[in-house]
Amino acid sequence: MIMVKNLTKSYGDIEVLKDISTSIAPQEVVCIIGSSGSGKSTFLRCLNLLEEPTSGDILIEEKNIIDKSTNINKLRQQMGMVFQQFNLFPQKKVIENITLAPIKLKKKSKKEAETQALELLEKVGLSEKADAYPSNLSGGQQQRVAIARALAMEPHVMLFDEPTSALDPEMVGEVLRVMKQLAKEGMTMVIVTHEMGFAREVADRVIYIDGGRIVEEGSPRELFANPTHERTKAFLSKVL
Amino acid sequence: MGTTLDVIKDAFPYLLQGLYMTVLISVVSIIISLVIGLIACFMRMSKYTILRYPAAIYVNIIRGTPILIQILFIYFGAPSVLDIHLSAFTAGLIAISLNIGAYNTEIFRGGIESISKGQMEAGRSLGFTYSQTMAYIVLPQAVRRMIPSFVNQLTHAIKDTSMLSVIGIAELTMVGQSIYAMNFKSFEILTMVALMYFITIYTVSLISTRLERRFVIS
Ligand SMILES: Nc1ncnc2c1ncn2[C@@H]1O[C@H](COP(=O)(O)OP(=O)(O)O)[C@@H](O)[C@H]1O
Ligand SMILES: [Mg+2]
Repeated sequence: MIMVKNLTKSYGDIEVLKDISTSIAPQEVVCIIGSSGSGKSTFLRCLNLLEEPTSGDILIEEKNIIDKSTNINKLRQQMGMVFQQFNLFPQKKVIENITLAPIKLKKKSKKEAETQALELLEKVGLSEKADAYPSNLSGGQQQRVAIARALAMEPHVMLFDEPTSALDPEMVGEVLRVMKQLAKEGMTMVIVTHEMGFAREVADRVIYIDGGRIVEEGSPRELFANPTHERTKAFLSKVL
Repeated sequence: MGTTLDVIKDAFPYLLQGLYMTVLISVVSIIISLVIGLIACFMRMSKYTILRYPAAIYVNIIRGTPILIQILFIYFGAPSVLDIHLSAFTAGLIAISLNIGAYNTEIFRGGIESISKGQMEAGRSLGFTYSQTMAYIVLPQAVRRMIPSFVNQLTHAIKDTSMLSVIGIAELTMVGQSIYAMNFKSFEILTMVALMYFITIYTVSLISTRLERRFVIS
């Protein structure tokens, strides 16, 4: 589904991603862990070209997205993204947040888009908030709306960048529950997270990134129980 | 020679006509300057040097020279070289629009930059192009915040139009000058002129404050 080959990314002289190669299978749930500043967000953002890779190749469903001929906007429609800061559109109601892209980009009728949005809101447990404005929702609710907004484009992959890091502890659970449900339904997901319990339970594979490199990857059982690299051990002993 | 009251009564209808001209030029040039500002703003934010530089030069020239020189330049200077003729009204409109447009460029830029980068990224990640994200998501939020500033620009435009008296446009200041040139009642007439400016500008700034409360604080 996603194939990354020798990906590097530099800001000026500073190389923040170094020769990253990995692949993600359809329906796989991959969690990316690592300390702050290690390059996790940059990696995730390269996958939908919010950051432009410096070198290397990224193939999404066999298409090399580095190719100048790739329609990046079409590509992004197939890759939902959820941000740490939610980034809902504050001047639009919850339902408008969700229907905007399907109406404008998929040319859905307003009615069709709204029916779909209501289904998605039900799925994330927020049916009664359709007409609320984002500023009247809690962080956990906003993040669930953000997930619904991304799902409305019917993406093939969902990218999550620390979706629960900006939340009060009591709201983390409700967001993770939605993500767990998505995973169960077979959505392909790449999740940058500090929630080790979640990674252990939901991930098919965990990737540990440090200093812009993949240090170690494996099933959560292997990686959490028997990390082979010293750096992984050191990191895990701090967060577990 | 009549009493002060007569002076006021005689002058008032003419001054009102002058005020009309002042407001007309101000409002029309504000509208033109919004278009100029929006275009120049996107040029300034463009990744292409060929667009960015002319816009930056325009903004800096306008901000770095007196408006009086700009007016004289457009009415006398430019036509003499370009071999065109501009009416005083057209030249005045162009001068004020270009002047306010430069300031609007910076207002637009500041407004757009005040919208968090996350909004652009959220739009792009859904598959919107840069322009679509600007049009559907960023600009509506930015313009909301900018409305009070634009209304405030109207007060500047009203004051700036008084400079147009130098090229003979019959706006409020010019009309005042011609009246006291004939009746020598400069104190009375200039007091009236100042009052009329004050009331107009004060009203506009009241509106601006109201809008600020409504759009910026909420
Ligand atoms: N736009 C940028 N310009 C310069 N350096 C950046 C930029 N974005 C990220 N970095 C640097 O790249 C490194 C990796 O950042 P990031 O991917 O955000 O890390 P993580 O998500 O793992 O915390 C950090 O050292 C950060 O300072
Ligand atoms: Mg990060």
